[in-house]
Amino acid sequence: MAEVVLTNLTKRWGPAVGVDNQSLRVEDREFLVLLGPSGCGKTTTMRMIAGLDEPTAGDIHIGGRRVNDDLPKDRDIAMVFQNYGLYPHMTVFDNIAYPLKVRGTPKSEIPKRVGRAAEQVELTGFLDRKPKALSGGQRQRVALARAIVRTPKVFLMDEPLSNLDAKLRVTMRGEIKRLSRELRVTTIYVTHDQVEAMTLADRVAVMKDGVIQQLGTPDEIYDDPANMFVAGFIGSPAMNLISGSVRGGVFLADGGAALVRIGAPDLDRAVLGVRADDLRPVGKGTGDVDAAVHVFENLGESTLLTLRIGEQRVMARGGRHERKKPDEVVGVTFNADHLHLFDPESGARVRFRGGG
Amino acid sequence: MRDDTLKYLLVLPAVLVVSATAVWPLAESLRLSFTVGRLNRPGSLDQYLGFENFSWAFMEDPAFWNSVWVTAVYTVATVGLTTVLALGLALLLAPEGRLRSTARTLLILPFAMSPALIGVSFRFMFNPEFGLFDAFFGLMLPPLAEISWLANPTLAFAVCVMADVWGWIPFLTLVLIGGLAAVPRETIEAARIDGANAWRVFRDVTLPQMGPVLAVVVILKTIFSLKTFDQIFMLTNGGPGTATQTLSHYIYFNGMKYGQIGYAASVAWLMVIPMIILTYFYAKFVFRKE
Repeated sequence: MAEVVLTNLTKRWGPAVGVDNQSLRVEDREFLVLLGPSGCGKTTTMRMIAGLDEPTAGDIHIGGRRVNDDLPKDRDIAMVFQNYGLYPHMTVFDNIAYPLKVRGTPKSEIPKRVGRAAEQVELTGFLDRKPKALSGGQRQRVALARAIVRTPKVFLMDEPLSNLDAKLRVTMRGEIKRLSRELRVTTIYVTHDQVEAMTLADRVAVMKDGVIQQLGTPDEIYDDPANMFVAGFIGSPAMNLISGSVRGGVFLADGGAALVRIGAPDLDRAVLGVRADDLRPVGKGTGDVDAAVHVFENLGESTLLTLRIGEQRVMARGGRHERKKPDEVVGVTFNADHLHLFDPESGARVRFRGGG
Repeated sequence: MRDDTLKYLLVLPAVLVVSATAVWPLAESLRLSFTVGRLNRPGSLDQYLGFENFSWAFMEDPAFWNSVWVTAVYTVATVGLTTVLALGLALLLAPEGRLRSTARTLLILPFAMSPALIGVSFRFMFNPEFGLFDAFFGLMLPPLAEISWLANPTLAFAVCVMADVWGWIPFLTLVLIGGLAAVPRETIEAARIDGANAWRVFRDVTLPQMGPVLAVVVILKTIFSLKTFDQIFMLTNGGPGTATQTLSHYIYFNGMKYGQIGYAASVAWLMVIPMIILTYFYAKFVFRKE
């Protein structure tokens, strides 16, 4: 039972800023993902919570207690590292048992608890091996077991799946989701992979340049991005960001093509954000606008059309059986419920009546 | 010319040089170890005794056993002290930082001095008339200034050990800093989070991962300590009496001073045995397979 509260947390190394005056409240039993590109400050934030890095300013509270001056061991946390951080000279059993041993758990109780943790991550047959004799996925399971063998106040996971191959990553992602549901312990999870963030998180904090850009549920982050950075970072393909202007309730792309009706006041400079999934290719002349196909890609379960609108490229999602040739002209329909406007200077969202 | 022949021809000069400078003297010393081998007695270099030199050393020569004992104590003391102190220094100097990298650079200085020079320097420093240590003790602890360090067997031995430890700490420290840098940072951080205090992190996680590097350091230093000669030759010349006479010093004395080249050769070959054993373990650690 512990919430994690960061208050005006800052980390600087000389002139370089890692985390810039950020406040964040992670609720008890919440699964919070810190998401962002490398160098955005997400790992630094986690390392400060763990006590491995010292904040330049600001406070960290875990379970209502200020832990700034506590050593990592006194914060009652467990951490899973990107490259596992297993003790190479110890067997799997000893690795998992280490947090118990070093904290003085009665000797008779250790095998029982190690056994249960190993069972939870399906490692029961490997307890006598050294980490060297395990695959990457098995090593990460050992790291997970070492974290869950105690019941800490908070789990910290620093890109735990980044060193695994794509297929294994999907499996382990599911495992982590199952474990977190079983254990219901406050978890902070750092990743640059938006799919991990979307699938695992109760809430996601998207970070850039040491600043949290948006804090919200996966739905909010995906459907209602707070700014152009979040819009461009989340989703594959990323949200289309079309520059242009708004005149008389119509969005005009640079070059003058009228794209779609939009309930916003006139704007000289604006960026229209729309996901490929909210752009549907239709027959020529029957959509909101006509555009030539630049690239056609068949992904198997769907197709992707890159279209030319003036000098800009816009991606639209087509059905599984859509087939188009380059330079063919198609119509495009905009899903009017999911249009977003941004200010091109600040990148901030421009809210408008009837807009998403 | 075939490549096969050519490759041997190209290696031949090197083989000849090594044979003339290393293999032949080695073989000759082995031959001499079975002879009477007195430099002042013509023909004695070809006068064979079988294993008599060896049995003389083992059965009838207390000076040989004295030097074995001196060498053993000297080796254990210098290896132990140097390794422990170097490990401590490495732990202090391993983290990054401007002050520490300056300190690491300064650390090289003792290692840059030749052992003979270290011996001479320490002899001067402990000189009872004008030595630095006497002056220092005269100011700080006057009773100690009365002691004639190099005239007392135990103290002279201690000074030899100290000079050696002082000279070797830098090298061992640098190797151990390298070993520390190779310990994955995550394992140490994981232990700190798992609940270990600084001592347990060191004992449970850092030290075991340093095992192979420590083994190499200890074996190397043992080899270096076993063959110590120049420093002792300059510092005490084996004295007072034979209190600091190591094996290599004893070999030198027999061969060069008394002209008993045959006997010196056989004692030298006796010293080769522990060296070979140590070298075997050294090679095993250095070239061990993952």
